[in-house]
Amino acid sequence: MFRLQGSNVLAVDMTGDAVKAKNGSMVAYDGQMSFKKLTGGGEGLRGMVTRRLTGEQMTLMEVRGQGTCWFADRASEINLVSLQGDKLYVESSNLLATDGGLRTGTTFTGLRGASQGNGLFTTTIEGHGQAAIMSDGPAVVLRVSAQYPLIVDPGAYIAHQGNLRQTFQSGATFRTLLGEGGGEAFQIRFEGDGLVYVQPSERNTIAGDV
Amino acid sequence: MAFREINSKMVEATVAPGQRLFSQRGAMLAYRGDVSFTPNLQGGQGGLMSMIGRRVAGEATPLMTVEGNGTVLFGHGGHHIEVIRLSGDTLYVEADRLLAFEGTLEQGTMFMGSQGGVMGLVRGQVTGQGLFTTTLKGHGAVAVMAHGGVFEIPITPQRPVHVDPQAYVAHHGDVRNKLSTALGWRDMVGRGSGEAFQLELSGSGAVYVQASEEKL
Repeated sequence: MFRLQGSNVLAVDMTGDAVKAKNGSMVAYDGQMSFKKLTGGGEGLRGMVTRRLTGEQMTLMEVRGQGTCWFADRASEINLVSLQGDKLYVESSNLLATDGGLRTGTTFTGLRGASQGNGLFTTTIEGHGQAAIMSDGPAVVLRVSAQYPLIVDPGAYIAHQGNLRQTFQSGATFRTLLGEGGGEAFQIRFEGDGLVYVQPSERNTIAGDV
Repeated sequence: MAFREINSKMVEATVAPGQRLFSQRGAMLAYRGDVSFTPNLQGGQGGLMSMIGRRVAGEATPLMTVEGNGTVLFGHGGHHIEVIRLSGDTLYVEADRLLAFEGTLEQGTMFMGSQGGVMGLVRGQVTGQGLFTTTLKGHGAVAVMAHGGVFEIPITPQRPVHVDPQAYVAHHGDVRNKLSTALGWRDMVGRGSGEAFQLELSGSGAVYVQASEEKL
């Protein structure tokens, strides 16, 4: 059972079940807990090789036990996401913890990934349960529906869920080439039906410089 | 109450004649009224011996005495501030995390080795806290700094609490602490979960934990 204690501490009450969390993110616990590193994110040999190749490496640990365990990472804001059989796409660096029962994997994101400064691949989480994702500053959840597509700065995007198509669009003009761009030369456009998580801060991206 | 929280990163202290405050040097942001700030060579209370003690222990943070009549705003480095109120018990905290405390509190230095013997010394090294820690005892309030928010976990004899040494801020009450290791063969081959060392706190009291694993 995931709950937030303040905005940047995640408390998980456990009764013998397991949770996957970012390596080293435990700050305190009571009761009995054991920590085990999951090599290759717990996806077996194939997942491990995929992660090595795609650069979406994440070091996760499995926490198992009875009691309450508190997680936090560099005072980042934490957002809870509950999944009912749908898929969450999140950058591996923004993932803090998931229920033990959720499946994780990698997927190809195309050009968007390169513009985000996060590589061409992203992490997916699938199943029924809860996940905790991190953001720099409190994240806003924006709904995308068929009539209202959403355009997001690649550096501020952290995660999305639901049935969304993403396309990469460029607002670059001849001014950008002259070095007079507005700093918003690239955007990601989401269409379909789902939710997008956006943080009030921008990572360093190629798009931010032009 | 001497300290009032303005927001999560700033506290307002009320100073009245005859009441002294100690604060980290340079932590004053603004003040109202007639307040004087005197650098404190001794680095806190006690006589010359305490001063030498703190120097030797490496627990000597530059402090200043705040006296007068008015209100003072304190903050430092954008760190989160937690006000802890003590009623007769002892707070154990690292000197560099102390922002300000009331003059009614008795300041002291504790040798870590006195709790837990050799393991106490090892703990000091592993946690980067050094071999000594500062104690504050009596009735009054203390403003403590931390990176990220602070939360309090109560410790009861039935439920010992384990804390990541880097996220530990302070503790009070009748608490014994020791370094517990969960070193396995996995850590030896570089496959550890990053949670090999933990501070185990048992007894009755409370521990303050910050939402980050960064030192100040």
